[in-house]
Amino acid sequence: MRQKQKIDIDHICALANLKLSEEGKARLEPQLVKIVEWVNKLEELELDLTQGEVYTPISFPLPLRPDEVQPSISSEDALFNSPETGGKFIKVPKVIEEK
Amino acid sequence: MSLTSLSVSELCALSRKKEVKAEEIVLSFLNKIQEQDEKISAFLLVLEEKALARAREIDHKKEKGKLAGIPIAIKDNILTRGIRTTCASRILENFIPAYSATVVERLEKEDAVIIGKTNMDEFAMGSSTENSAFFITKNPWDLRRVPGGSSGGSAAAVAAEETPASLGSDTGGSVRQPAAFCGIVGLKPTYSRVSRYGLVAFASSLDQIGPLTRTVEDSALLLQVIAGWDGRDSTLSSQPVPDYLKEMKEGLGSIKVAYLKENVIKAIDPEVKEIYSNTLKRLEEMGAELHEIDFPSWEYALACYYILAPSEASSNLARYDGVRYGFRHSPAESLKEMYLSTRTEGFGPEVKRRILLGTFALSSGYYDAYYLKAAKTRNIICQEFKEAFKEVDFILTPTTPEPAFLIGEKEEPITMYLSDVFTVTANLAGIPAISIPAGLTKQNFPVGLQVMANYFQESLLFKLAFLLEKKVKFKKK
Repeated sequence: MRQKQKIDIDHICALANLKLSEEGKARLEPQLVKIVEWVNKLEELELDLTQGEVYTPISFPLPLRPDEVQPSISSEDALFNSPETGGKFIKVPKVIEEK
Repeated sequence: MSLTSLSVSELCALSRKKEVKAEEIVLSFLNKIQEQDEKISAFLLVLEEKALARAREIDHKKEKGKLAGIPIAIKDNILTRGIRTTCASRILENFIPAYSATVVERLEKEDAVIIGKTNMDEFAMGSSTENSAFFITKNPWDLRRVPGGSSGGSAAAVAAEETPASLGSDTGGSVRQPAAFCGIVGLKPTYSRVSRYGLVAFASSLDQIGPLTRTVEDSALLLQVIAGWDGRDSTLSSQPVPDYLKEMKEGLGSIKVAYLKENVIKAIDPEVKEIYSNTLKRLEEMGAELHEIDFPSWEYALACYYILAPSEASSNLARYDGVRYGFRHSPAESLKEMYLSTRTEGFGPEVKRRILLGTFALSSGYYDAYYLKAAKTRNIICQEFKEAFKEVDFILTPTTPEPAFLIGEKEEPITMYLSDVFTVTANLAGIPAISIPAGLTKQNFPVGLQVMANYFQESLLFKLAFLLEKKVKFKKK
């Protein structure tokens, strides 16, 4: 019999840049386990993963546009939605630690 | 006669004959929104002043576009320059795009009037519009029920005559399922037929923009305007866009139609099954040749979809970190702390669930068993469709396994995901599919029928949908 699915919720949260409360983890983890057990239905399909193609959504040669210079959005527009800016820059908390 | 009860084509005809002004059309829909949207909650933003000002401008133009003065509502994951676009998420609550999506530009070029932005499941993740961070949209047929999702606001607005047409996006059924629940027409075009430039990405190998309308003719009319190469979406086909309206009205000739085996539809609502069977009978009476078709991989499609779509979402949604746009948790002690707190506070529960699921499927040690396996399964599903379309012209299915369900009825994620059982296959294979109203249940809830066709065969889809629409006596809401 198949072993019960395990998910290391702390590891997955760290990879996804999410920080869940203990209560949040306790709620989400069993839901994720259930969903993963549900999608494990694919195990019934005996696929050789070393053979066969992976689906690609486009099977025709992609058209390219002419290589012509076109205007793009201004830096003012690009900065407009940033929560914090200074001059032509986006401000974020300090990245480099002081010695 | 009320202007709001007319289709896009009927309104265009009146406008061409100068029997009605753009301003009158727009005003009548704005009044309808004012009267009833408090109950339905289809709109996140109504552009009263902008829409009226634009309508007046159009009235003064000498040369008018083919959608002159027609109000169109836009799902709130499609960018509209200078107009707040939130994806129904706290993380984009105050986002003002610097550019418009190609589809919006094309509608505006034909003098359509953007009337507002519609509610949706956050980042298009859901089948009921209950996952909006702001409020729940109600089904105009019964306010206790969901309008479907994720384009629930777009569907409810059309069904409630608050707009004659709208745009939605369809990643696993998000145009067709709400169209079915609200008794209207919803189209998912072929992958690469309509530009996604300016569509906020959810799952890029599956997402397509499509129209929601009250008639098949309007669906063809809108696709005509929004389809075609723009040089800005690298996945877009440069195939010429046919004259859908002209081709739709040409004869269909003899057709072969596939229907699903009993084992695929065994778990659906009996009334939906009856309406599906009756439609097949009607098609046979019309001269269609019916074929039962075996789709061995159909039962794996949902599992395949719920690995691939969250995987792509987990990657696409990595961009929301509070740096360049959207909500930022502040103050934060470090950059990492800012990312973590911004994302944790900004995303709702379903979005977090799918990001985590996708991150898991792509993570080291699980990639082969989940993502790679699903990607290969997708190839098999795709091959089965290609084989099927060597034998038949169309595949008919119910759009949904049941009519609109009650708000709050599906709290378990998996029970909600099962709503997409008939729709995800078209996204996985990249083929076009349309949902049209097929009948009403005894309790008066609409049931949708899905017609699927081969790649780039939208004209064929419209032809059959147009014929079926005439045969189905359907009381409009």
